Amino acid sequence: MRVVLAEDLYLLRDGLVRLLTAHDFTVVAAVESGPELRAALIEHRPDVSIVDVRLPPTYTDEGLQAALDARREVPGLPVLVLSQHVEQLYARDLLADGVGGIGYLLKDRVLNADQFVDAVRRVAAGGTAMDPEVIATLVTRRVDGPLGRLTPREREVLELMAQGRSNAAIGQRLFLSESAVGKHTASIFGKLDLPPSEDDNRRVLAVLAYLHQ
Amino acid sequence: MMARFLVAPVRCLALVALSLLGFVVAASSLLAAATVIGYPSLARLIRRLARLDAALVQRWTGVAIELPPPAGPPEPRRRDDGWYVYERQLYRSRRVPAFLLELKWIGADRGFVRMWYWLFFAPFVAGALTAVPVALLGGGLVLLLTAAGIGGLPVPAAVAGAVGIAAVPAGVLAGPAALRWYAGWARLFLEPAGQTWLRRSPVRRWLSDQTAASWHGGGLSGLSFAAFGGFVVNLLAALVSWSLLIPRTSLVTRQAMVYYRGMVGRWTGRPVEDPYQPYPEPPRRDPDGTYRVGRSLFPDLDRAIRWQRNGWVLGDPATWRDLLWMATAWLPGLVGLIPAALVSFGFFGLVWQVLWWAPWAVPVGLASGVWVTPWYVWYAVRELIPGAAVVPDWASVLVGLGLTGVGLVLAQPLLRLRTRYDRLLLAPTRSAQLRQRVRRLTDSRADAVGTQAAELRRIERDLHDGAQARLIAVGLSLATVERLLETDPDAARAMLAQARETSSTALVELRQLVRGIHPPVLSERGLVDAVRAVALDCPLPVTVTVRLSGRADAPVESAAYFAVCEALANAARHAGATRVGVDIGYSDDRLRLIVTDDGHGGADPGRGSGLAGIRRRLGTFDGVLAVDSPRGGPTVLTMEIPCALSSPKTSTSSETGWSGC
Repeated sequence: MRVVLAEDLYLLRDGLVRLLTAHDFTVVAAVESGPELRAALIEHRPDVSIVDVRLPPTYTDEGLQAALDARREVPGLPVLVLSQHVEQLYARDLLADGVGGIGYLLKDRVLNADQFVDAVRRVAAGGTAMDPEVIATLVTRRVDGPLGRLTPREREVLELMAQGRSNAAIGQRLFLSESAVGKHTASIFGKLDLPPSEDDNRRVLAVLAYLHQ
Repeated sequence: MMARFLVAPVRCLALVALSLLGFVVAASSLLAAATVIGYPSLARLIRRLARLDAALVQRWTGVAIELPPPAGPPEPRRRDDGWYVYERQLYRSRRVPAFLLELKWIGADRGFVRMWYWLFFAPFVAGALTAVPVALLGGGLVLLLTAAGIGGLPVPAAVAGAVGIAAVPAGVLAGPAALRWYAGWARLFLEPAGQTWLRRSPVRRWLSDQTAASWHGGGLSGLSFAAFGGFVVNLLAALVSWSLLIPRTSLVTRQAMVYYRGMVGRWTGRPVEDPYQPYPEPPRRDPDGTYRVGRSLFPDLDRAIRWQRNGWVLGDPATWRDLLWMATAWLPGLVGLIPAALVSFGFFGLVWQVLWWAPWAVPVGLASGVWVTPWYVWYAVRELIPGAAVVPDWASVLVGLGLTGVGLVLAQPLLRLRTRYDRLLLAPTRSAQLRQRVRRLTDSRADAVGTQAAELRRIERDLHDGAQARLIAVGLSLATVERLLETDPDAARAMLAQARETSSTALVELRQLVRGIHPPVLSERGLVDAVRAVALDCPLPVTVTVRLSGRADAPVESAAYFAVCEALANAARHAGATRVGVDIGYSDDRLRLIVTDDGHGGADPGRGSGLAGIRRRLGTFDGVLAVDSPRGGPTVLTMEIPCALSSPKTSTSSETGWSGC
């Protein structure tokens, strides 16, 4: 699997390259600034890219903007965004096109290599991987609108779905059978008025609805 | 039915009697007001009589008169040490402050004014007609008795009988109507006027504005006449003591000037700042044991302070400007008096002479048989101005209205003229303003430096006890792992997991710390998106509206961001709000942030440390916080920071193109 990596800290960039190579990824480009990233994304069209939000030369959200721009050019280009902090605002921006293939994780998650690599693969496959921190702030919120119609159990399922877990993984977490989880997800899609389509896509839309509550 | 008619004249009699008693009480309260002492007890009597009147009217006619619920004056505040406080003055006993509070309370009570007017005028406007059934019935009965041969009226029996027979039923029949008449007047006088179209009309507003302006002009003029007394006092003190007393006397008159400035501010809506220099720091003891003030040395502190205070008073140009004002203010005072004089003579003299005539001239006429003309004020004018005699007496009311009109038209311009003179001498001069600004800046700088130092200390402590300590733990774990790797791989693995855990915790702590110092969104996306981000994290639904075409400097954005955070936290924590709005805008070279919530209000910057913190944060940038938070809500916090906006690039994202690559 071909990966483009953008990270300005040499140590972290080097570590990530090692980690990915060890897990059978091919790092086609490891860059350290926004303009380089833009060029690399368009040139290599990687299977997945791993991007730090804050990059030189401006040290603002250069990486995020470059990724968003690339996805406008190449819809659905899988991007996993890493950051020292997570914001719902950014999560919304990333998911806004509703295509999927988006990940948004704290850099801390790299410490757990297996989970991290798993998230990279999910994103590459067109799924989503939202950091539990993004979801955590949502749980405390008062709900109204369509999400208010969800049962507490369905909300739990949606939370895990937002993190990008598969039905099997969700079932394991909540001690449910996979078919029971399937019923819950179908019910969630129905309550959120999501049109029948490919399952992955509907999952993204459900997460998007969750973020926009 | 019959009973109602029969009892009506008796009720009329009772009301008339009550209204006569009320008149006596109301009239004597005028005298009591002059001597002050007995006034509160008479006021209580007036209240009780008016309430009795209203209750009787309601019971007998069914006309409900809505009076404000009975309330007492506020209780004087008792301090923990047992003293009572009234307006910055301490009293040993409760009596005096309670008395003063009651006086103030009566003065501010609109309901009381209405009651007084009713009691004063009731016998003339309502009582006179209400007395008719009583007179008919009573007179008729007397005539009937005369006809029956009892009593000694010198009237032929036949006439007396006939008139008596006519008068008695007429009196009975007129009874209920007379009661209703009385009830109607009572209601008109006693009930607070509602929001009729007349009250809301611009004419009415103009009238009340101009009337207020004329009284305020008169009031300020009165005060400026009194101020001449202050000048004389200072002058005499200077003459008697070869100027030695000036620092003392001018400090006394300074208090009066502070009061006058306050009145100007209150009455014109534009406050006049005090121009005085701040009181100097007390002199410090030099190593040689003397106290130094300027170039003089003093052996003891007392004299040093006195000398310093004299210098402070005499060296302040505001002292001399005050004196100049006191000496001259009576001149514009004469001009400022004109509207009030015109209105009071025109309206309260010529127009009201007819109305006022009844309360005093009718009793006098009845008692003595001497009837004074209703045009008595006009007669006085005719005496002074012979030419005025060509105007017919009744037309004097029109003349009065005309004079009132002229007075009202002149009120605002003349008030402006007089306060312009006041501002010329009493407002801080340019250099005084600059001095005050320097003082404010010094204060806010000290504040900022202090806050910053405390903030740095907090960060240092957090790092020291948090991330730093955890990294040490990680290092120790790794060292142990190094040793265990060969001998006990399982323990080494457990150690490694622990080290990873600890480093994760350290990261979380660092992230929180960074958020508190300067949230990363703020540096990545700027104020607007940072506010949006914090709005998303807020447990309440927050609507953010933005009218902003650029970015402010980073420190300003940071201050604004933390101010909004604090405001949102307040709304969520203390106000019990369900909905919050944040509006970010820029106009008149000011960044304006308005946070509105629908909570229960009652926010007070004097109490909560949160609002004080916002104020301090904004103060560093000359920013201000306005709090509008009536009990019951909603709360509106308006924060303004003067600043410039740079690069017209809007907050969010997406406009950046591909051209960069």
